[in-house]
Amino acid sequence: MVPREPSILFDPARCVGCVACSQVCPTKAIRVAAGCAVVKPDLCIDCDACIRACRYDAVQARLSTPADLARFKYKVAIPSMTLYAQFGRDIHPSQVLHGLTRLGFDRAYDMSWMNEMVAGAIDATFSEAGGPWPKISVTCPAIVRLVQVRYPDLLDNLVQIETPRELAAKVLRRRVAAEQQIQPQDIGIFFITPCTAIMNSIVAPVGLEQSNLDGAFAISEICGPLLKAMKLGGAEERDDQISRAGIRWATSGGELMGMRNTNTMSVHSLRDVEYVFDHLEAGKFQSVDLIEAYICPDGCISGGLTIEGRYAAGRNLQHIGRQLGTQSLVKEEKVRSLMREHFFDFEEEIKARTVRPVAQDLRRAIALERERQDLLARLPKKDCGACGAPDCATLVEDTLRDEAIIDDCIFLRLARCEEAAAKRGEVSR
Amino acid sequence: MNESRWSTGEPRVPWEGAEILYSESFQIVGDDFEHGGEAAAKIKAMLKQFGLDTAVIRRLSIANFEAEMNVIMYAREAEMQLQVLPTAVRVILSDRGQGIPDIAQALQEGYSTATPQMRQRGFGAGLGLPNIKRNTDEFEIVSTPGVGTTLRYTIHLQG
Repeated sequence: MVPREPSILFDPARCVGCVACSQVCPTKAIRVAAGCAVVKPDLCIDCDACIRACRYDAVQARLSTPADLARFKYKVAIPSMTLYAQFGRDIHPSQVLHGLTRLGFDRAYDMSWMNEMVAGAIDATFSEAGGPWPKISVTCPAIVRLVQVRYPDLLDNLVQIETPRELAAKVLRRRVAAEQQIQPQDIGIFFITPCTAIMNSIVAPVGLEQSNLDGAFAISEICGPLLKAMKLGGAEERDDQISRAGIRWATSGGELMGMRNTNTMSVHSLRDVEYVFDHLEAGKFQSVDLIEAYICPDGCISGGLTIEGRYAAGRNLQHIGRQLGTQSLVKEEKVRSLMREHFFDFEEEIKARTVRPVAQDLRRAIALERERQDLLARLPKKDCGACGAPDCATLVEDTLRDEAIIDDCIFLRLARCEEAAAKRGEVSR
Repeated sequence: MNESRWSTGEPRVPWEGAEILYSESFQIVGDDFEHGGEAAAKIKAMLKQFGLDTAVIRRLSIANFEAEMNVIMYAREAEMQLQVLPTAVRVILSDRGQGIPDIAQALQEGYSTATPQMRQRGFGAGLGLPNIKRNTDEFEIVSTPGVGTTLRYTIHLQG
């Protein structure tokens, strides 16, 4: 398997070496060494928790640059539905799409209709799909990674349907190539993303060999220039092919609203997802057909690379949806015929990415477990993070992997110093 | 004492005298719904550390969860002991409680003595003991009404 690049970088000029990021990291992927945080890419699930926790703006998402954009003759933007929610209640998606064409893109396409298509396809598969149940939605790439890294038993529960953003890019590349009479590889298709997880799903795709997208720009970076561009007007003509059901996908529960035949459950925020996945592993929630899971607290509108707060964004989106009307843009027969052509299928199986265990052999593993318990008993359990690992248990883990020493613990060192001093008779209490 | 005994699965590993690589005990308290499932979760985390096959861990976790909730719902207290052997993992769960008067009946799917309150919490579907049976390779129940029940179940490791 290709080694994974980190999706975030710590700026050493800004990072002060505090432990705010390492302590919120759900997979214990961050260590603080020599005054700067570093991330272990194989553990990182791109949840953006560190970006939210950093008080010094030192965590940078790895995203596309203007140079990446310049490589292509024809530049296309596909915004996340979350982008529509960043500018108050009274905008129309057409204004956002038009604004993007003033920022260096030749065209910007809405993908809400593809959300509606995929919802239809998921709904339709349930009548034929076999177990295991419940199915878990794959829209959030951080969820897919969490399953690969921590819950490999649930891999077979993942919905076997490609994400709307990938499918939209695939369709649009064909369409643009035909319309503009240019080679497909000369078209650069960029996602406007609310999170680092989607960027990383483009760099290191799962379920397909190569992403249909060429890169991504952060909503947080593009918002300022886009607002100025939108004020210039020029979007009087309104696209009536924007799906109200589709734009709901930016909020938690949105993906489930279009489901007619299924018994669903919406889970969001990492802790709740862990709670539900732990129970799934124990065989619970068998009566649920589909779980929509998002790593962010409120779905994509609460992504780490957004500007508008999630409550305001949710309200904005609701209002924008009302302007769009309730018509469905997707015909069931069209979805079914595309399903027969395997349009929605993954190209590759999604495989586990479990972190290698310290020991392969059972006896050795048990000996290590005893060592782990002994080492942990020596530590203060303050989980202060001063050693560089986020908590005492992780310092023990790193020690067993020869990546740290137990004396990195400042409390152990202090005790040792006091002991030595007492021996020399220099300390009088 | 009218002790009754029931068992299934071909015993491959002797209950006494087998080499035990690791053992750990967990206390479970009746009516303690707040901590329900914690022993099963701790055992699961432990076995993951040991690098055991995920299918083995899943089956044992299901059995453990059912057994643990049974104690919480019906018994006063219990000790759940995990034993890791070179070729198997097994659990011995001894409780002090009301016992099971008719084991054959309790093993029928859908049979339950759960109260409406338990059912409100989502338990009491009568799948507890059948679920343990389904997920283990060896399973033995010894019960004395009014005294308590001991469950012993084993899952074989492959190879």
